[in-house]
Amino acid sequence: MSIVVIGLSHHTSPVEMRERFAFAEATLPEALHKLRQSGAADEAVILSTCNRVEIYAATNLQAKDAFEALQKFLFDHHSFRGQINGEIYTYGEPQSLEHLFKVACGLDSMVLGETEILGQLKKAYDLALQHKHTGARLNKAFQRAFNVAKQIRTETNIQRGNISVASVAVDLAEKIFEKLADRQVMVIGAGDTSEKTARALLSRGAHSVIVSNRSHERAVALAKELEGRAVHFDEWAVEFPNIDIIISSTAAPHYILDRKKLEPLLGLRESRPLLLIDIAVPRDIDPEVNELENVYLFNVDHLQAAAESNLQQRKEEIARCEAIIRDKAQGLLTRPAGAPYPVGKPLAYGRDS
Amino acid sequence: MTDRDYFKLAVLIYGASMVYSVFLWRKGFREDNRVNYFVLLGAFLFHTVAMVKRGFSLDRCPVTNLYEATTFIGWTMVAAYLALGVWSRLRFLGAFLSPIIFSIGVFALMPALDKHHGPNPEFFIPGWQNSLHAALFALAYGAFGLSSGAGLMYLTQEHDLKLHKVRAIFSLMPPIQRLEVVTGRLLAVGFALLTAALGVSMLYLKRSAGVYLADDPKILWAFFVWFLYLGLLLMRWRFAQGGRRFAWGAVGGFAFVLLTFWGTNLLSPIHNP
Repeated sequence: MSIVVIGLSHHTSPVEMRERFAFAEATLPEALHKLRQSGAADEAVILSTCNRVEIYAATNLQAKDAFEALQKFLFDHHSFRGQINGEIYTYGEPQSLEHLFKVACGLDSMVLGETEILGQLKKAYDLALQHKHTGARLNKAFQRAFNVAKQIRTETNIQRGNISVASVAVDLAEKIFEKLADRQVMVIGAGDTSEKTARALLSRGAHSVIVSNRSHERAVALAKELEGRAVHFDEWAVEFPNIDIIISSTAAPHYILDRKKLEPLLGLRESRPLLLIDIAVPRDIDPEVNELENVYLFNVDHLQAAAESNLQQRKEEIARCEAIIRDKAQGLLTRPAGAPYPVGKPLAYGRDS
Repeated sequence: MTDRDYFKLAVLIYGASMVYSVFLWRKGFREDNRVNYFVLLGAFLFHTVAMVKRGFSLDRCPVTNLYEATTFIGWTMVAAYLALGVWSRLRFLGAFLSPIIFSIGVFALMPALDKHHGPNPEFFIPGWQNSLHAALFALAYGAFGLSSGAGLMYLTQEHDLKLHKVRAIFSLMPPIQRLEVVTGRLLAVGFALLTAALGVSMLYLKRSAGVYLADDPKILWAFFVWFLYLGLLLMRWRFAQGGRRFAWGAVGGFAFVLLTFWGTNLLSPIHNP
């Protein structure tokens, strides 16, 4: 019995196509039951997320026959009568196992190395297991996939370093402040990125958020969402002595904070560091303030450069991850050690993330 | 092997640690620094053997000349680092300390420093007080040395943050606020030890020469160092002058101690009869 995979993902198909083949969670047990009844699979797990729809099957059929049967099931289940043009991919052993391991490790994800997919994969497997649609082959393969994901997380840098601007801002805060728990955050200008950054800081333990915006109503609304409080735009400087992190993203055409304004306020802070994150374009904060002692100013380019660098580091780790995955897949298959794999489709990693 | 041979071996390993530290620095301190920790631990063992052998041969605490005092200072710095290095985030301190320790070691090995002169009979009273005063000074300078290492770490990380270098985020170094706290605490410990050392020394001088203070360059220098560090601590506690200035103060203070320690010792009739 061999393991095969059929599916479509963000690599091969647009969202319009993926949503056409998506399985609602509530319908999965029935779909798995129908799949096994169809004879296309003896064991099966269906993974359906916003970025991929995949069927992992253990079958006694020849790979070619299995792919045809699985594709027929997929089309029939979704009443699809259209044409496909390379959107659906298929893998036989050992590529099927390598693909499963890649997915578990986040190597095939849109955001390279992300961990959310592992939880989704575990959930899909648990559901199939719970409804007795898996057996010895798939149980072993999925357990191994979870182990490989753990090994890759601990032994490589594929998940190290954040690759979003908001998370990089949090990393910076953690390089400056001993604890985020006592830190007061101020958001000036209620933009989307500043909201995300504030949320990221709160999720890592920041004490509270004060929001200030030209439209006070918008400030109040965002403050409510962030469980903080709002202050009027012309009063934000009053709060300054207690603030440790400022995230600024107003639409102002000029600097709202410059050296002349900041210097006298620093005297009220007793040498406490101040992190200024300026994500506005045009910039809100005069770069000259970075020359002041205990003031650390980062603009959107600095944060993006760090995120890019992290992504590059993750990409450089792919070869190491690939070696581990090939080794583990080989270990799972009952072929003599050192025997070459049959020629198959090449590995395809998260190139668009 | 003589005690000096063991010490030479230790200095050689400190040198290897220094070279390794350069690689860690160039790599941006991205990986856990256990290797350097264990290299320093190895050097520390040889260093300890050297001091124990010298101590047994003298039948007292081995701080009777400049060589011994210098090695003692280096030893206390490494011992304190090894204790602090249990916390992985402070292990990088070793990369900043090894060049200082290596320099101290090379300095200690200069032949003129290890003169086997006995204590100045005019001021010497046998007993534990003499060893205690020397040991307390060595411990104090060790704490100042370690504090300067933490200060260097602070300045490096602060420099990288100010210049928006990506390695500031990637490095496994502790946040600058913690480095500032560590620098301050080590400096305070050093200051307390130095105060105790000066107190013990004054009592000892009273017993041996009938005065609490003497017009001796090294005694005056020790009081100057005490005021220097008092000034630094007051700056921090009373006037909230932390951050970069404080870190430069810790580094500069210890640089001053290192550069003038030998000269004042040579000029001192009490300590260099």
